[in-house]
Amino acid sequence: MKPARFEYVAVESVAEATEALADSEDARVLAGGQSLVPLMNLRLARPSLLVDVNGVGALSGFEARNGTLRFGAMCRHRFLETDPAVRRQAPIVAETAGLIGHVGIRNRGTLGGSIAHADPVAELPALLVALGGNVVASSTTGERRVPAAELFAGPFMTSLEPAELLTAVEIPAHGEGDGGAFSEFVLRHGDFATAGVAVILHRDGDGACESVRVAGCGLGPTPMDLSAAGEFLLGESALTDGGADELGRRVAAASDPTGDVHGSGEYRRELAAVLAADAVRRAWGRAGSTGGG
Amino acid sequence: MTAVAPPVAPPETTTGTFRREDTRLLCGEGEYLGDVQRPDLKHIAILRSPLAHARIREIDVSGALTLPGVIGAFTGAELAAEVGTFNHHLEAIPTLRQLNWSVLAVDKVRFVGEAVAAVVADSRYIAEDALELIEVDYEELPAVSDVEAGLEADAPQLYEDWGDNVFLYIPGPHGDTETAFANADGVLQEKFTHHRIIGLPLDGHGALGEFDAATGRLVLHASTQIPHFLRTVLAEITGLSEAKIRVVAPDMGGGFGNKVHMVREEALVAVLAMRVRHPVVWKQDRTESLTASVHSRQQVHNVEAAYRNDGRILGLRAEIIADVGSPELYVLGAGPAIVTTAIVPNCYDLQDYAFELRCVATNKAPMGAYRGYGQGQAVFLIERVLDLVGEKLGIDPVEMRRINMIPDEQRPYVTATGAVLDCGSFHDQLSDLLEGADYAAACRRRDEARTEGRLVGVGIAQMVEATAPNIHGLAGQFGVYEMAMLAVQPDGKVNVVVGTKSQGQGHETIFAKAAADELGISPDDVTVSDGDTGVLPYGSGTWGSRSVVMGGGAVIKAARQVRDKMVAIAAGLLDAPADQITVSDGFFRLGEAAIPFAQIASAAYLHTFLLPPGMDPGLSVIVGYDSFNTSPFPDERGKMNVAATYATAAAAAVVEVDPATGVVSVGDLTIVHDCGTVMNQVILDGQIHGAVMQAIGQTFLEELHYDENGQPLTTTLLDYAIPTFGDIVEPRIIHRETPSDLIGGYRGAGEGALIVVPAALAAAVHDALVPLGVPITQANLSPPRLRDLLREHSAG
Ligand SMILES: Cc1cc2nc3c(=O)[nH]c(=O)nc-3n(C[C@H](O)[C@H](O)[C@H](O)COP(=O)(O)OP(=O)(O)OC[C@H]3O[C@@H](n4cnc5c(N)ncnc54)[C@H](O)[C@@H]3O)c2cc1C
Repeated sequence: MKPARFEYVAVESVAEATEALADSEDARVLAGGQSLVPLMNLRLARPSLLVDVNGVGALSGFEARNGTLRFGAMCRHRFLETDPAVRRQAPIVAETAGLIGHVGIRNRGTLGGSIAHADPVAELPALLVALGGNVVASSTTGERRVPAAELFAGPFMTSLEPAELLTAVEIPAHGEGDGGAFSEFVLRHGDFATAGVAVILHRDGDGACESVRVAGCGLGPTPMDLSAAGEFLLGESALTDGGADELGRRVAAASDPTGDVHGSGEYRRELAAVLAADAVRRAWGRAGSTGGG
Repeated sequence: MTAVAPPVAPPETTTGTFRREDTRLLCGEGEYLGDVQRPDLKHIAILRSPLAHARIREIDVSGALTLPGVIGAFTGAELAAEVGTFNHHLEAIPTLRQLNWSVLAVDKVRFVGEAVAAVVADSRYIAEDALELIEVDYEELPAVSDVEAGLEADAPQLYEDWGDNVFLYIPGPHGDTETAFANADGVLQEKFTHHRIIGLPLDGHGALGEFDAATGRLVLHASTQIPHFLRTVLAEITGLSEAKIRVVAPDMGGGFGNKVHMVREEALVAVLAMRVRHPVVWKQDRTESLTASVHSRQQVHNVEAAYRNDGRILGLRAEIIADVGSPELYVLGAGPAIVTTAIVPNCYDLQDYAFELRCVATNKAPMGAYRGYGQGQAVFLIERVLDLVGEKLGIDPVEMRRINMIPDEQRPYVTATGAVLDCGSFHDQLSDLLEGADYAAACRRRDEARTEGRLVGVGIAQMVEATAPNIHGLAGQFGVYEMAMLAVQPDGKVNVVVGTKSQGQGHETIFAKAAADELGISPDDVTVSDGDTGVLPYGSGTWGSRSVVMGGGAVIKAARQVRDKMVAIAAGLLDAPADQITVSDGFFRLGEAAIPFAQIASAAYLHTFLLPPGMDPGLSVIVGYDSFNTSPFPDERGKMNVAATYATAAAAAVVEVDPATGVVSVGDLTIVHDCGTVMNQVILDGQIHGAVMQAIGQTFLEELHYDENGQPLTTTLLDYAIPTFGDIVEPRIIHRETPSDLIGGYRGAGEGALIVVPAALAAAVHDALVPLGVPITQANLSPPRLRDLLREHSAG
């Protein structure tokens, strides 16, 4: 379990990073290394060059601007989980980041790495889809924004070019009447989710549901946008048990999971129903209370 | 290794001494195989088969040899010409296929992960790079991945000369099942299944070999539970004599039975050390340990139980099919399945019991030992039968057990398969369980929960464990008993060396205490070592819950012999008869007179003129210790007593099932445990806690998956879920102490909870699902598997 030979360069700026990526055939960005390094040890990933961006200060931090929250790609999961400003302005991001692995993993793993890695069972890509956010990608030829809906191409595949560096993640700022919840099933504490469902909704001043977005992990080859399953809730001002279960049924029907050693496709579909019902109950309550969640 | 402040003396507790080895082990000062360093150490990496079943047409290692840093690359065919082969040496079992196999695969590969070629290089990195430059031309063959399919007439054959895939067939027609079934009011028919799991040590197998060509001596450090057995095998493979071979087993992060087997790589390390004339090391990585070490448990049972309407089980027939994977494993991987057949009657009076055992070779990793060693499957079988028959008859589980249990007055009780049970009262043990678990209240709470629509269940199970199996005739080229060396040094401090091998069980603590108690000194004055064939001529290692029973017995026997000699010296000095000398607190006493222990020691070594006339100098012994009560071979009716003694346990579990997700939460777990004399309750409780964790893992988390082509799907710990701290269930433990007739009165501990708890959990889950009417007949109750069951049930 030793990696194949590779070169390594530690860079200090986005420009250095994108140049290094452009110059080399099979270069890979090294962020937290929590996914890439195990793959290299199994020789399932064989980069010729690792471009270590841990020293690029511009990739960390978090700011709110014009109704948009912008997270540097190198925000660690643990930062997202515990930073008071993130917890206040993006509570659903904090909740979701806290579901990832163990503390040790969260101390190293990064938002950008998780999204670029595009593991179909990872939480943050699904959350990005649910929030309708986008990523910012840089290369030697410039910068572009890629909406979540166009980002995830397949298991462990994104529409980013190999020479592109994911520099930031942008999501709409959390406002009054917004509520979100991420519910997942793990076999053991700290495991990857067998399945997970994020529900993000907005209720107007009268408590009626104005928008609902649903996304899932472990329910298809990519993070799945399952928002259509929630349309029946629009305009409703109360969520009944029947309504929550109905969402569960619709989410299960809309998902497209395949089986693996952690559970069959059927099992994941069953989990989807349970998780969606749980998430919508929690999201609904949060959207209805000031402060939200 | 970092320096850590010297350990404070381990505190005494009311229940025993804390483990003296813990400070060393927990502070990172243990010496595991990975800590053994040598100048100029070379590293071995092993090329493994990517196919489950294939003929090897050709292997070309020339590419690997071109890589700088590579010292050699070796194929099975090349080494087979020079070194010996493995053989089970069990000609005594006529229905066992006789096999010879080499340190690397030669003509055929039979599972994904089988060792095909090896590279020796300056580093493991280079060695693994070189593996990629070896070219193997395989002719792929259809694979047997399902054990029942492997029994079909048209199944692909792993060994063409066998004619089928049955590695071992044993019929066991005990008693008169014909009459029993003829007299029955009813017959229960069930199929029980056990899934494939693995006893997974923290550090896997591995070995470091050094060969001194000048003296012709080989030293192998190996992470093994059986250093002396390994020495015998190394002699056979290398052609060296056992006198030229020293096997050292260093500290180990567990063995769990996995390391009671010698993987072929351990011998390969020895062979390569002799070939390349450098010290060489190979350490199993996690994927190797998950795919190419020793799997366990997988069995299918087709059972018929004849019962009377009053609840009495009159007779039982069991067809036991064990999936042994590749049978090329030493020691015999079919062993646990043989033990399954012997343990089925458990603590019940069941003389009319017939089994047929088929151990079937499949294209999967070898199956072999894991803590519990086939006994859990047997207990699962009989305990499920009792509950299922009881359910048919409306007799509750406690009553079913009382009706069928071996009466207290029958001791020893000889079971259908010849086990000579010397256990305490099963009835009292069950009463202790019901009281300790507050069974009646648990059942009441279950009933209340049911009225709320919650799926709560209560289950009980009992077990008899064959401990310290002193197998003789069927041990092939090994001896199973125990040896110990005890030397009082000239300064009065004591060395004890045992032939058992601690894998973390706390042997240093307990054997020091055993010797000290006999010698009338403090355990602090006793230094214990194990795992070195260079010091003790023989030993049988640690497995089968045997270490305290056999190792402890041997240590006590050795200490008594030395003490007798010291008493004789003291008697001479005090001019009194030996039987008037007492020994306590470090003194040999006669009335008011007292001679310090150390003074006798110095007399024996340094002032030998003080010894009684004609007495030889020195104070050391090497003793052998056998229980003398086990059968070397089965008798003409196939009956055999394999174990020196028998431990017992009973467990009660309370669970709640979430039908939506298949998650089972264990609310309460009670274990009554009788391992005879308790030597150290802190250590014993630790054994039970660990076994409970593994029972939780086995039942709710763990499963090794293969696809239909024999490709392993659980190749990392991302895919194979072992319990972690979040999964801890704390059992309530009740100890009973029924001493055995052996030295010390021990019965053996370590495996019992892992044997009985899975059956109790299954019973509890079954009970929880009573409102849904879904019977539990499988050991695997993981959330997805339980959901499969519930889904199948609601569909059909
Ligand atoms: C035991 C364990 C448990 C885990 N549990 C979970 C879990 O429950 N949920 C979960 O979601 N994840 C889990 N993870 C994965 C963890 O969250 C990873 O950190 C994350 O998936 C990848 O982030 P990273 O920063 O470590 O990326 P790396 O491993 O460094 O990189 C991953 C991939 O993304 C690319 N990449 C990284 N950053 C960029 C960038 N800025 N631009 C372009 N490409 C980039 C890399 O080149 C590489 O291909 C677990 C990991 C472990 C080891």
